[in-house]
Amino acid sequence: MITSKFEFKSPKDVKEAVHLYGEFQGEAVYLSGGTDLVPRIKLGLVKPKTVIDLKRVASLTRVEDQGDWIKIGSLARIFDLKRNDLIRDYFPVFEASLEATSCESLQMRGTIGGNLLQNSRCLFYNQSELWRGTKGFCLKMGGEACNAVPGAKRCFANYCSDNAPALCTLSAEIELSGPDEDRRLNLEGIYTNEAAKPFNLRPGEILTAIFIPKKQSTGGYEKLRVRDAIDYPLMSVAFSLVDGTGKLAVGAVGPKPYVVEIKTPLRGAIGEAVEAVLKQVRLVGNTVLEPEYRKRMIPVLAERLFNKIMEGAK
Amino acid sequence: MERYKVKLQVNGETEELDVKPSETLLETLRDQLELTGAKEGCGLGACGSCTVLLDGIPTRSCIVLTAELDGSEVSTIEGLADGSQLDPLQESFMEKGAVQCGFCSPGMILTAKGLLDRNPEPSKKEIIRSVSSNLCRCTGYKKIIEAVETVTSTETTKA
Repeated sequence: MITSKFEFKSPKDVKEAVHLYGEFQGEAVYLSGGTDLVPRIKLGLVKPKTVIDLKRVASLTRVEDQGDWIKIGSLARIFDLKRNDLIRDYFPVFEASLEATSCESLQMRGTIGGNLLQNSRCLFYNQSELWRGTKGFCLKMGGEACNAVPGAKRCFANYCSDNAPALCTLSAEIELSGPDEDRRLNLEGIYTNEAAKPFNLRPGEILTAIFIPKKQSTGGYEKLRVRDAIDYPLMSVAFSLVDGTGKLAVGAVGPKPYVVEIKTPLRGAIGEAVEAVLKQVRLVGNTVLEPEYRKRMIPVLAERLFNKIMEGAK
Repeated sequence: MERYKVKLQVNGETEELDVKPSETLLETLRDQLELTGAKEGCGLGACGSCTVLLDGIPTRSCIVLTAELDGSEVSTIEGLADGSQLDPLQESFMEKGAVQCGFCSPGMILTAKGLLDRNPEPSKKEIIRSVSSNLCRCTGYKKIIEAVETVTSTETTKA
């Protein structure tokens, strides 16, 4: 049951949605599929005064071939995208990450924009208000210290989008519409590297589209999870090879995907790329698996993925 | 608190509803329409016991706001049988004993229905992937998988 009280708005275009947000500055949220947002509202992690539903904005669901780019509307559903011929033909890493996202009934509700802008997660954060209250509020809830690492003054929540690491390996860009201007930036540029507030979004901005360079790629995605049919990643590895240059991205081990470019995509280089990621991350006990195990699985999944891709390329 | 007018087709009947913005589809079905087949398990979209068909698609009704749905069609387990004629999936669940406590059954059946509607001959792997996205805490998956398989191997759902 949702205990917080809010108004519900259903604008027909992006301009109207942004305008509505302005009327409820700071206390409105945008709703797409709701598979991340509604549970967050239920747990009291967000208490909006207004929910602005974007599903009636028809322009946000389209997939367009623009020649040099494939443009994907942010409200395109995960299930529809994984069956899209352009995505299947050009971006195997993305097809694999879409397939690995949750389960099919949630893929049919969840959108790509919502998947990218899902909030970071922690075993000590995604809990009911009562549960969290007994423990004392953590940094991500506005408290003084982390509950996963007692005494720590920074947040260790994990960003668990399956599709973000995949899209980073394809050098995807995103478009944002806001009250002052529209802007386009690299997907990697959206992350703050601060788990308590993971996105560089200005108030009122809507993620309207994702752009992927239309270049043939090879690649894949591997994901660690306990319940294979539905779970968020407990760690994941994405790899793509575009124009002879590889990119490896590791997800769900911190507040953003960790991306490393590989000029000469050979087995040894994959190991070096994994080492480069390991130097940047600090895994802690904030998921259902031990941090040491998740850490040790990064090179294992990276190698498994690389072998699978090389096998497919033969 | 403001209320919203929402028109839904529920199991073929037109329902003109007056809902709170925070009301979930599951609450509307159970509390307003007294359709208690869909169950509340986790309440967070993870267990699938609240699954209904929304415009033909298996949907976790506990994480959908009814206010989002004006003009939509909803089918619940209560609407699956044609009069006294049970759906082949319901028959098959009975025949195979794919029910223990029964709490997950409506969600399981509608998830399987969604799978078979878009893919009448799924592989065993596809069936396993689909039904295991719903939780059965009696862990009776074997019989559930057999029940779905039985329906795919007969001609009944292909018509």
